[in-house]
Amino acid sequence: MLELKNVYFTIPESEEREGGRRSIINGINYVFEKGKFYAITGPNGSGKTTLAKLIMGIYPLSQGTILFKGQDISPLSITERAKAGIAYSFQQPARFKGITFRDLLTIATGVDDERKLLEILGRVGICPLSFLDKEVDARLSGGEIKKIELATTIAANPALAIYDEPDTGIDLWTIGPMVSLLKKELAERRTTTIVVSHNRAFLEAADVVLIINSGRIVYDGNLEGAMPLLDDLSVCTYRDSCEGERDAGCYR
Amino acid sequence: MLDAIDKTLLKTVADLEGLPKGAYNIRKNGKLLSRQVSANIDIESNADGTGIIVTVKPGTQNESIHIPVILSQAGLYDVVYNTFIIGDDADVTIVAGCGIHCGSSEPEGHAGIHEFQVGKRAKVIYVEKHYASGDGRGRRSLNPTTRVFLAEGARAEMELTQIAGVDEANRVNEADLGPDSMLLITERVLTDGEQSAVSTNNIVMKGAGSRANMISRSVMKGNSKQIFYATIDAQNRCFGHIECDAIIMDNGTNETMPSLKAGHPDAELTHEASIGKIANDQLTKLMSLGLTYDQAVNRIIQGFLK
Repeated sequence: MLELKNVYFTIPESEEREGGRRSIINGINYVFEKGKFYAITGPNGSGKTTLAKLIMGIYPLSQGTILFKGQDISPLSITERAKAGIAYSFQQPARFKGITFRDLLTIATGVDDERKLLEILGRVGICPLSFLDKEVDARLSGGEIKKIELATTIAANPALAIYDEPDTGIDLWTIGPMVSLLKKELAERRTTTIVVSHNRAFLEAADVVLIINSGRIVYDGNLEGAMPLLDDLSVCTYRDSCEGERDAGCYR
Repeated sequence: MLDAIDKTLLKTVADLEGLPKGAYNIRKNGKLLSRQVSANIDIESNADGTGIIVTVKPGTQNESIHIPVILSQAGLYDVVYNTFIIGDDADVTIVAGCGIHCGSSEPEGHAGIHEFQVGKRAKVIYVEKHYASGDGRGRRSLNPTTRVFLAEGARAEMELTQIAGVDEANRVNEADLGPDSMLLITERVLTDGEQSAVSTNNIVMKGAGSRANMISRSVMKGNSKQIFYATIDAQNRCFGHIECDAIIMDNGTNETMPSLKAGHPDAELTHEASIGKIANDQLTKLMSLGLTYDQAVNRIIQGFLK
């Protein structure tokens, strides 16, 4: 349902290396199947979030094609991709002034009927009703805003839901129910689910674990098979070139 | 008595479909158009006929007073002095507002000087909207002054809004807070084109235990300009906060000067100020929910000025 073909994303080099371009995503080819749960993991700076943002259209592709339900969505805007059925849950959700959780839900669903909004709240389960008229502003805690982010993503009934580190700021007791909620949505609506996470709870829940390193997919398969590589990636691979004070380009 | 333009102006500045319930005083083109008093609220013209004195009996609960002003006469600059005397323990809402309809090239303007004497433990909500419309190219100016005196334990919430169409605005808000009193001012100003607006706020915290919160939200579209001054002068143990945010669109400009003066060792004063374009992460979030760029901008501004 989602196919990445030869996807590259490069950015201009830092000033000291003038003129060149640095690859963040380095030629990814992959097919995501409908109704499956994917967990994308890998070291910090490996390109996980960038890949997720390329799918949503937040960053433009430098090269390659993205097909969604058979349609080339590469030239489409964020808005058009949202309307095509992709939803995105941000790692650091935006905070507003004067916009409430109710407003965001209404924008996401087109529903402003109180009863239907309450139904949606019931469905996403993790938000007390008192949340509905809370302003999505700087006063919300990190955990509260992530719950709101998750709820607006689910409420949009997307065909493809992308969650970037949904557990950031969430307490330990909420992660289990959050995983169950995503699995329930997947089971009932066949929502193709992509979660970018380091959290073992999401890796265990996933049908497929993808490991990204240096902008490439270096593994796809079950968690068991991923474990040796995940252990290995925790070891510094730049040791040979690292010269202590000088930057070896490991980006850690 | 009310023509179509009057009705539109009244609807916009005072949310009124026709004549309001309760006490009201409607002023049109510098003259009294209609007035009604209630058992607890008296309205009378002041001695020199330049405005009204509204007196609310002590203990009056949940009553409202509407005092809109409408201007649709070319070349008129209407100055009005209104005094509000709110009795002890009263709880009232006052809806003021000025709507200008300018159909010619002559300037029109209004200066409302409003003074509030709020009695002990009394509570007043004051809502003021300013709006100008019409195809005429005459400059429309609105220069309101608000002076608030809060007695012990009194509370005033003031919502001051300038919606659209006002070419020049020079607003002055002054407040004098007694012991344990509380003042909340929320000011929202939208300017566009070549419009300019200046807001000057002086809040003097005289009484122990007084609290003040001044919130300002500004949006500058086109080439418009806004200047915001706010000073909290703490002369006793008190808590004061200024929050001023400005969103720049197009080529708008803004100057914001919050100022805190602590003249007492137990004064607690804070301020936060920001000026900038709409944050990118806000736009991206709303677009990811299906809004277009323009819809996202409108939604963010609408919330910001809500």
